[in-house]
Amino acid sequence: MDPTLIGQGLLSGFLFGGVYSLMAVGLTLIFGVMRVVNFAHGDMMVWGMYLAWMLSVRAGIDPYVGFVVCAVALFLLGLVVQRGLVERIVDAPHEMQILLMLGVALVLENAALVTFGPDPARVRSPLSQATVWLGPIFVDLARLLTFGLAMALTGALWLFLARTDLGRSMRAAADNPYGARVIGTDVRKVYGAAFGVGAACVGAAGALVSPILPFQPTSGLGLSVTSFNIVIIGGMGSLPGAFVGGILVSVAESMGAVFLSPSMKELVSFGLLIAILLFRPAGLFGKTAG
Amino acid sequence: MSSGNKSTNRRAFLKSAGAAAGLTALAGFPAVLRAQAPTFKVGVVHPVTGPLAEPGQACRLGAQMAADAINAAGGIKGLGGARLELIFGDTQTKPEVGRTEAERVITQGAQMLMGSFDSGSTAAMVPVAQQRRVPFLVDIAAADPITANVAKSVREGQQKVQYVYRNFPTGSSFGRKAVQYFGEVFKEANVSPKRVVLMYCNDLFGQNNAKGFQAAHAAAKPSWEIVDVIPWPEPPQDLSTEVSRAKAAKPDIIAPITRPASAQLLLPEIRKQRLDIMGIVGPGSPGLYEAGQIAVLKEDLEYVMASTPWANFRNPRTQKVAEDYLKRSGGKTFDTNSGYSYDGMSLIADILERAKSTDPDTIVESMKKTNYANGLMQYAGPIVFDEIGDNPNAVTTMIQILGQKAVAVWPKEAALQKFVFPRPKR
Amino acid sequence: MKLLALLAVAVLVALPFVVGSYVVTVLIFIFFYAYLGQAWNIVGGYAGQLSAGHAAFVGIGGYAAALLSAHAGLSPWIGMWIGGALAALLGAVIGYLGFRFGLRGFYFVLLTVAFAEICRVVALNVDAVGGALGLYITFTGNPRQFQFQDNRAYYYVALVLMLASTALVRSIERHRFGAYLTAIRQDEGACEALGVDTLRVKMRAMILSSFLTGVGGTFYAFYLFSLQPNAVFGIPLSVEIIIRPIVGGAGTVMGPILGSFILSPLAEISRTYFAQGGWNGAHLIVYGLLLIAVVLFLPQGAYPALLRLARRRP
Repeated sequence: MDPTLIGQGLLSGFLFGGVYSLMAVGLTLIFGVMRVVNFAHGDMMVWGMYLAWMLSVRAGIDPYVGFVVCAVALFLLGLVVQRGLVERIVDAPHEMQILLMLGVALVLENAALVTFGPDPARVRSPLSQATVWLGPIFVDLARLLTFGLAMALTGALWLFLARTDLGRSMRAAADNPYGARVIGTDVRKVYGAAFGVGAACVGAAGALVSPILPFQPTSGLGLSVTSFNIVIIGGMGSLPGAFVGGILVSVAESMGAVFLSPSMKELVSFGLLIAILLFRPAGLFGKTAG
Repeated sequence: MSSGNKSTNRRAFLKSAGAAAGLTALAGFPAVLRAQAPTFKVGVVHPVTGPLAEPGQACRLGAQMAADAINAAGGIKGLGGARLELIFGDTQTKPEVGRTEAERVITQGAQMLMGSFDSGSTAAMVPVAQQRRVPFLVDIAAADPITANVAKSVREGQQKVQYVYRNFPTGSSFGRKAVQYFGEVFKEANVSPKRVVLMYCNDLFGQNNAKGFQAAHAAAKPSWEIVDVIPWPEPPQDLSTEVSRAKAAKPDIIAPITRPASAQLLLPEIRKQRLDIMGIVGPGSPGLYEAGQIAVLKEDLEYVMASTPWANFRNPRTQKVAEDYLKRSGGKTFDTNSGYSYDGMSLIADILERAKSTDPDTIVESMKKTNYANGLMQYAGPIVFDEIGDNPNAVTTMIQILGQKAVAVWPKEAALQKFVFPRPKR
Repeated sequence: MKLLALLAVAVLVALPFVVGSYVVTVLIFIFFYAYLGQAWNIVGGYAGQLSAGHAAFVGIGGYAAALLSAHAGLSPWIGMWIGGALAALLGAVIGYLGFRFGLRGFYFVLLTVAFAEICRVVALNVDAVGGALGLYITFTGNPRQFQFQDNRAYYYVALVLMLASTALVRSIERHRFGAYLTAIRQDEGACEALGVDTLRVKMRAMILSSFLTGVGGTFYAFYLFSLQPNAVFGIPLSVEIIIRPIVGGAGTVMGPILGSFILSPLAEISRTYFAQGGWNGAHLIVYGLLLIAVVLFLPQGAYPALLRLARRRP
């Protein structure tokens, strides 16, 4: 086996892990606070990507700047979905929750199809073409940047949860919703904010990876499945878990592509998922509670 | 749980009500069928939603344009000037929906079927065509068994008549032509590359085409070797490691089989990783020539070659239709998908002209005798159907992106420009 | 009243002679998805173990029967039981891993999805089972090969599947097994405390459910004449399987049937009326909105809502 290939595979996998981490952060937040599984996660992200694309094509705004707009837009969408839909079925059986988000996913996917057409799109950003060479190994600058942004976003979210009142309320509501109500937390408002912030992360993630990942209206499902994998492996509700999980899955897939047939690299991440589910279902960073 | 009288009442009532409601809704359909002038209805079924929406929508538009042109020229004179009326179906890229849509369009009066791009839905529609005796022209679908199975069934006496015919290169013919063109192009360019890395999207089309290519290579034993075969899951999120692997095999040529999404990842990656190759020459796939792809990939697509079913742009009629298509589709190229659906519809009109009847078996007889030379795509001869029901003259053409436009470059009879190979150093 | 139930069945039996082939096809899919939904209902509805990977069982059953038919000349009428058994084997593996390791709720969901995806990727890459090209079944119309020249024969097979599975579920509901399942769904801890071997009960439910689903795979293969890994192992099929019982009411006898009779015609009507214009995808937006509406207005499912309505009448 060519050591250059292995080294390159490790590095590429590691850097691409930043992309994966970004995808997973919003999802883990929503689940961590509300115990809601957002099956429309991937489709929301696709909308973030399309919004970034529109900003780039119509207004010439680079996605590395425009992601803020996408975050705000998706925050509003998340708020609407939570207040209008999710909140109303908080007592319904689990399967209804799944059905609801599946319906939302279907609507989002086909609204994108009707609005943007079926062709795959990618956002062109001058950065997405640049590389830096360290001997025989190269570093993809766009991915390096995304990796850095993933760290920054995760860090910012961490600070938000630890230092701000709203963030602390979210953590309280996550740990003990009843107790949080007892001490006067407006749990309804907290849930709305959590879903909104989670959606904002998803929107930002979509915008930031739009120069790297080509997307179509039907890309949502694949993104959802990958994100769920990462979140479980890292630990539901854990931000460092989402970050490390993303890198781990990406490196595992990359090594799968090097040593096995690349068309089977998904087996590696699913195998990892099953192993985690069986031996440490709370995930690498999750709390091993009941 | 109690099963009192009322609940069973409701249950039974709802069951029959459900069926009745469905019936009533569909009973409305015959009213729609009251036609004015004589019309001949053709069911046109493609995936216009779902993962294959992009080619599916192109096919539908191609078919519509052909029908419009035929009707504008007076319709089917052999049927008394009957107009072609298209009843559209959407398979949603799912086989069960394909089957249901085929049934629906036939119930709404379609007497012929055309479709349906992806082999799963097409295979599901075959039994409908056979059961209800509706001649079915497959405009695009690569899996060999679609027609071969029906032919076998008729040969063995399990079915009386074959109603399914296909005007599209089969998976095996893609590979043969590609290997042939590779050799011819290298010879003409006076170079002899040795190491080819085959990279392909691991879906039905990609895998089928890749296998065909490898089989054809093994049979032809040319002077070049396939040194590595790298498939990826389609659609991929990242191809950097795959390209690194290709680079490690020290290729002279990369032979990619892609879809539009994977092409958008693959080609920039090849440039970023600085693969030092003579060129990118594909055995034939979407993603390497469409207007939308050129707009996104720009210089990364320049000099890329692909052996793909292509329109014959030397034909002035083709150029006119391509211009119309550009307008009606909002800027898309008239290519494989729209082209073969267009030709499929024109072929249906020709078959009906000679059949002079709407009886299915008479139409099938006319189909078997097809010898149609007015197709807009590049063929190796007139459109005919062999014993399996395929068109042996449906072939591919080697095209190249030159000056940000896709042009036919090989074989010489089809070429509009000379190819550039090896590609210039950057 | 039993009489009305028999009347409904009689209507369904007589229907193919009155309506056209398109309606027959729509009804075939209604019955078939009701059957698959009923099979899922056992483990997903009654036992509350939500599986979103049931497509794996359809795929295994279908591939087994198709391969045995093509390579060993084995009639699918026999092959389908073998397919069911293989699917049950996978179900036992998934069930054991999930239940033994205490996976609940969303974690179990994801375990089932992971297995289905693994099956899909393996099927895509193994040439012996057809790879991405899949398996194609020759249309012969020969009943010995589980094929029929007349669409209506398939109708009756699907109808029998639906009725038999419903009878089975009704029987389960009335026996101790059903009581255990419902109890486990409501409070598994309490059941264990009371001495119920919950692992064993859940395993039985999972094996039964996956076996029946696997048998359904044969019908799928020999009605659609092709098996592609992405279609038959993919998440969209798993979703189609579960939305009908959920909409109708998971854990009720009539839920899958009601759900199927609601959703399939709605999908058809939606596609017929909204898919003609230039807006490709509009019909699926409508369908998605309908699913959302069902969740908001019928949060326990259509059948329980119907029962409540019925009880309100004096």
